Amino acid sequence: MIKVKHLKKVFRTPGGGELTVLRDINCDIEKGEVISIIGPSGTGKSTLLRCLNRLEEPTSGVIEVDGKDILDSRTDINQIRRKMGMVFQNFNLFEHLTILDNLTLCPMTLLGRKREEAEKRGMDLLEMVGLHDKAGCLPGELSGGQKQRAAIARCLAMEPEIILFDEPTSALDPTMVSEVLAVIRHLANQGMTMCIVSHEMQFVRDVSTRILFLNEGVVYEEGTPEQIFENPQKPVTRAFINRIRTFESILENRHFDLYGLFGKIHMFCNKYGLGTKVSDKVEHITEEMLCGIMPFCGPVTMTIEYSEKTSGLSMTFRQENTLDSILDNTDEDSLQLMMIRGMSNSVTEPEKGTVCVQLGATSLNCTQY
Amino acid sequence: MIAAILWLVSCTGRKTHDLSGVNSVEDLKGYSVAVAMGSSYDLMLSEIDGVDVIRLGVGELLVAVEKGRSDFCIIDQFQARMLNLESRGLGIKFNNILKGTACAGFRKEDSLLCSQFNGYLRGIMTSGEYDRWLDEWKSASDSMADASFLIHKHEQKPGDRALHVGITITYPYLFLKENNLTGIEVDLFNRFCEKAGYPVNYEIYDFSALIPALNSGKIDVILSHMRRTEERAKQVLFSDAYIEGGGAAVCRIGDGVISVERAGLRERLRDSFNNNLIAEQRWKLMADGLWVTVQISVLSILAAVMAGVLLCRLRMSRRHMVSSPTGFVIDVLRGIPLLVILMLMFYVIFASSRITGTWVAVMSFGLYYGAYFSEVFRTGMESVDRGQWEAGFALGLGKFQTFRKVVLPQAMMRILPVLKGEVIALIKMTSVVGYVAVVDLTKASDIIRARTLDAFFPLILVSVVYIILSWLTGLGLKTLERQLTPKSRDL
Repeated sequence: MIKVKHLKKVFRTPGGGELTVLRDINCDIEKGEVISIIGPSGTGKSTLLRCLNRLEEPTSGVIEVDGKDILDSRTDINQIRRKMGMVFQNFNLFEHLTILDNLTLCPMTLLGRKREEAEKRGMDLLEMVGLHDKAGCLPGELSGGQKQRAAIARCLAMEPEIILFDEPTSALDPTMVSEVLAVIRHLANQGMTMCIVSHEMQFVRDVSTRILFLNEGVVYEEGTPEQIFENPQKPVTRAFINRIRTFESILENRHFDLYGLFGKIHMFCNKYGLGTKVSDKVEHITEEMLCGIMPFCGPVTMTIEYSEKTSGLSMTFRQENTLDSILDNTDEDSLQLMMIRGMSNSVTEPEKGTVCVQLGATSLNCTQY
Repeated sequence: MIAAILWLVSCTGRKTHDLSGVNSVEDLKGYSVAVAMGSSYDLMLSEIDGVDVIRLGVGELLVAVEKGRSDFCIIDQFQARMLNLESRGLGIKFNNILKGTACAGFRKEDSLLCSQFNGYLRGIMTSGEYDRWLDEWKSASDSMADASFLIHKHEQKPGDRALHVGITITYPYLFLKENNLTGIEVDLFNRFCEKAGYPVNYEIYDFSALIPALNSGKIDVILSHMRRTEERAKQVLFSDAYIEGGGAAVCRIGDGVISVERAGLRERLRDSFNNNLIAEQRWKLMADGLWVTVQISVLSILAAVMAGVLLCRLRMSRRHMVSSPTGFVIDVLRGIPLLVILMLMFYVIFASSRITGTWVAVMSFGLYYGAYFSEVFRTGMESVDRGQWEAGFALGLGKFQTFRKVVLPQAMMRILPVLKGEVIALIKMTSVVGYVAVVDLTKASDIIRARTLDAFFPLILVSVVYIILSWLTGLGLKTLERQLTPKSRDL
């Protein structure tokens, strides 16, 4: 139904620079599919969605809808847009019209519907999204969740063939998210073709038929919800799905600033809600590794990875310019190694010169939710 | 009621001087004297040290003396004789100030017309027609019965060069009676025009605006009881003198002239009302002025809205080459006082064209308020969230449909309350059009004041009319605003 080929979008920044948001996007959307677009922020998920109905003008590439190139200047984009509904993050209901008038304006203006006919259809749709008794209200009188449901109904009033959802729940109170998701889920069950940009991972996993993982302006990984959520193939996907936060520091030689490093570790732990006990433990292991075990025959790179999903934390110390194993050259009974083993779940050396210390969720003696 | 209180307040707080020793211009030293700005009395007194000269419009002179703001005023002695000064507590102290003769003024290039006029004057003076004619006027004026019957009307032949004559209302030389222009000088000039075969148009100007209007080509002749002075002669080609005149110094009774019983408050109010509105059907002049004010207001609002929409559209252009020059134009227009724009348009930009003051005023107001309106429109448009446009586009509405059905109704709700104030300001601002020879409501009251030399009734009446105009406009816009405000409804 929609084919995207080599789509590129470059934004001009006010300073005269250029920002490439979409580098080379290729994807297909077939009738009846529910496609979710996920990925780290700033990777152009919304931009991609907005390019599909040309709210953003793509820099280059091809977008075909039912075989018609919508970037062609001869194509009547308004005609295409009537078949592509869009639900916005900020609802964008017409503030000067009642909810029912919001639903009837476009069918009456564009599809030539009579008022009674449009109003009857509008009331049916409002019934479906549970807003039958709000038909005469102004948008200002509705809650966020109700507004978004009304916006979805407005979309449906044009009888679109596909609906694009641009972060439909991002602007909502947590308490109102579920009522909107329930409506979208209902549409999915009815077989509506949809394309959803969302951060609601559980919802995306339940409702989608296919997931596009966007990273750095390309479709980085693509697959069924099971493939993406259970068994992501690529490191950035995995880091995103497990919500992994990383901290990295390069230490040039033995005379590095230990207390400066402690300060940074402390801030990193604080930022992701890890308590003082955890940061103390991480600092302790850091000190033992860097001041006892690492040989410093060149710069050492230290990385901390923390998964918000599993609450697991791992620390990696990589020694440059070495061919020797570090653990093999360390006395198993040395006080430092024994202390590190005592504080962590496992200490391994997956490749020579790289020591990996795992702290499981249980050893992170702190509250998680 | 309020009017009566204002009247009483304005009557209080006088200071009294002993003016009995003042019998000539030299004696005026140490006293304050009100004169018409730019008049020959003004020039004369400015050269005498120690005289406190207060320069006012013709209409304010007697009032200044009446209210004690000045000790004397100097008005034409002929006029002073005709006015019922005693009833206002005033009297003539001495006469024949700057006794001299009035001339008509022409452009320097226009010597042919000037000599033609001079030739006509010489002709009637030698034939004795002039003396007969002047006697008629003098006797008619003495009785004050009805001078206007003397006015010589002549058939205007189409196709001839029409003479545009700039006048200032100066009783009894040039004045309006029952809404018709009449007076000794008008009569004389009509006779000349008939003889020479010119159609003639009279336009009412402020005295001080006459010479600029002549030199910019707006008018061909100044006929305003103007005396020849060296200063004026540098810019104006004066004809031979055609009438004698002089000034009278007027002061309050009790300050140096014999006292007469003053009329009571009620009588004075009634007299003032009769004098300013009823006598000589002066209300007609006011009504005509009101109609002109309404016309100018309505046309200016339309022009300003159109200019505002255009400027707003250009200002909001995404092209820098369009939007920033427009911004500059808007800043320039808003940076010049409206009155200055009006005068620039009239005396500089449209100086050589014979376009009427009304249209110049409509254009000036349109431009000036267009600049203000455009900024109001822009703020209104920008206050509508970008998302409203996008929602319209995403549903398949075109650019204009989205503007018309989605953005404009929302912008209007924000524009109207601000616009209301600007529109009312515009209506009140139309009161300056008198500067470009348009007789609007304010100018009409000025003319009446110049004739009756009474400030009270014309000004109060004009204020009330402006208040009603503003109130009606506000009411209209408020109704529109209420209709545009969205309402929830039961379904």
